[in-house]
Amino acid sequence: MSYDLVVGLETHVELLTKTKIFCGCKNSFGSEPNTNCCPICIGLPGTLPKLNREVVNFAIKAGLALNCKINLNSKMDRKNYVYPDLSKAYQISQFYTPICKNGYVELSSGKRIRIHQIHMEEDAGKLVHKSGDVYVDYNRGGVPLLEIVTEPDISSSEEAREYVEKLQMIMRYIGVSDCKMQEGSMRCDVNVSVKPEGSRVLGTRTEIKNMNSITFMTKAIDYEYKRHVAVIESGEKVVQQTLRYVESTNSTESMRSKEDAQDYRYFGDPDLVEINLDDLYIEQIRNTLPELPTNRFKRYTNKFGIPEKDALLIVKYKNVSDFFEAASAGLKNPKAVSNFIIGQIFRNIETETEREKFEILVSPKQLHELVKLIEDGKINMNLAKKTFSKMLESGKDVTDFISEDDMKGISDNEIEALCREAVSKNEAAAKDYLSGKEKAIKAILGYVMKATKGKGDALKIEKKLVEIINQ
Amino acid sequence: MISRDEMLNLANLSKLYLSEDEIEDAMKEMDGMIDFANQIKEMSPNSHETPNINGLSNALRDDEVIESYPQNKILENVNGGKDGYFYIKKYN
Ligand SMILES: [Zn+2]
Repeated sequence: MSYDLVVGLETHVELLTKTKIFCGCKNSFGSEPNTNCCPICIGLPGTLPKLNREVVNFAIKAGLALNCKINLNSKMDRKNYVYPDLSKAYQISQFYTPICKNGYVELSSGKRIRIHQIHMEEDAGKLVHKSGDVYVDYNRGGVPLLEIVTEPDISSSEEAREYVEKLQMIMRYIGVSDCKMQEGSMRCDVNVSVKPEGSRVLGTRTEIKNMNSITFMTKAIDYEYKRHVAVIESGEKVVQQTLRYVESTNSTESMRSKEDAQDYRYFGDPDLVEINLDDLYIEQIRNTLPELPTNRFKRYTNKFGIPEKDALLIVKYKNVSDFFEAASAGLKNPKAVSNFIIGQIFRNIETETEREKFEILVSPKQLHELVKLIEDGKINMNLAKKTFSKMLESGKDVTDFISEDDMKGISDNEIEALCREAVSKNEAAAKDYLSGKEKAIKAILGYVMKATKGKGDALKIEKKLVEIINQ
Repeated sequence: MISRDEMLNLANLSKLYLSEDEIEDAMKEMDGMIDFANQIKEMSPNSHETPNINGLSNALRDDEVIESYPQNKILENVNGGKDGYFYIKKYN
């Protein structure tokens, strides 16, 4: 029998606010332990939390970008559990009235992964384990998080990858999170179950906690799928449990049993008041949203004729896409700009992080000027490429490498004269060409190109040469 | 009436360790507390909803940094901690 894979994801993203969710302590990664702390975020008795407005705004932004309905009335709840990473023995989260509901992320296949809800909550502190002892750092305690929960709509590890990458991209575009999985600012809990192909009844699920790499997440899903199928085929039942993925063995292992939902004893936090929003406020926030990557992708492919593969590479990184926007504005052929980015700039910046930052010496304006010269027929593509390499190394303008004189271009008459000269000086090659050695033309072409100092258009010159030889 | 197992589960969730003779007492006390909570439940039909007694909403704070406490102040109640951390020694 074959089995369908059913996956739902709960993704935590840390927000890029200046301060924590309930106090004015700095929200920053990598500080000395317990230096971004105050009585509120270490949970001392008698302190009162006060919700950061920006967290609410970011949650609304995320909800709008993920096509959610924003709840006009929402509030914070307490989730109770005792663990050293949680100084108050409860986490302030949202359970009964999350701020956003019922959205979706559309995959490239057109399939929609439905978003069940998005809620705001505080992050826990960080535990460092050293030879059995535990060291606690509460800098992360109280850092604002959004938890984005999907419906179990994902049916392959590849769809899971695409969903997470899309989510990452959208969150970065709207500026609410940097979604750095390796630094923990984006983490996924993965719910996996299997069911007989086509069946409507969901199987028993297991939950893999805290995945912090997309590659490992897809491996963990594939592993769990195989494990569930093997368990069922052997006549046993899948046990509902919380798992940890072990990278070294590419397998999962059971975690110490966690509480059931009812054990969290959720209740409305009496320290925090309701959040009441109105449509006008939400519209104001909608107006601050930038153009989303899915839109840009459609524009690049449909309007500019950029191949999907290339468009995806540009849209993936906001800085690259913004660079492209600035450089291509007003040009007849924006595709040329994307070719320079992918063909030449990306050759030197290869890692995700580098592309994310996109720190290069050339400005969008400088690339714009270069492409303009090509469009105006003042330089050919060959020369442009060579010049762009030099520009990338030095950060200098195109005019520093190509003089006004060079850019005057070359008239058709001049080209014809040069071609005739070339053919007469390379009679042997011309004969070879006529006798069927098509490559021989390249030698004559090289002669002309050299004479034009690279200004001529190689295709045009080759045509002219063929014409002359055939006369 | 709360069962013995429910009492032990509750104690476990709160990391309380009850001796055999404490369990019986705790069950009685818990029953009293639940009765009391049930009275409140009668006032508010949805037990999870805290009624908005004070009528306040949107007590929001601007996203502005307020200086944190120095590390030694934060660790003052735990004898200064260890290496800048709250320290929990291995037990068992
Ligand atoms: Zn604080």
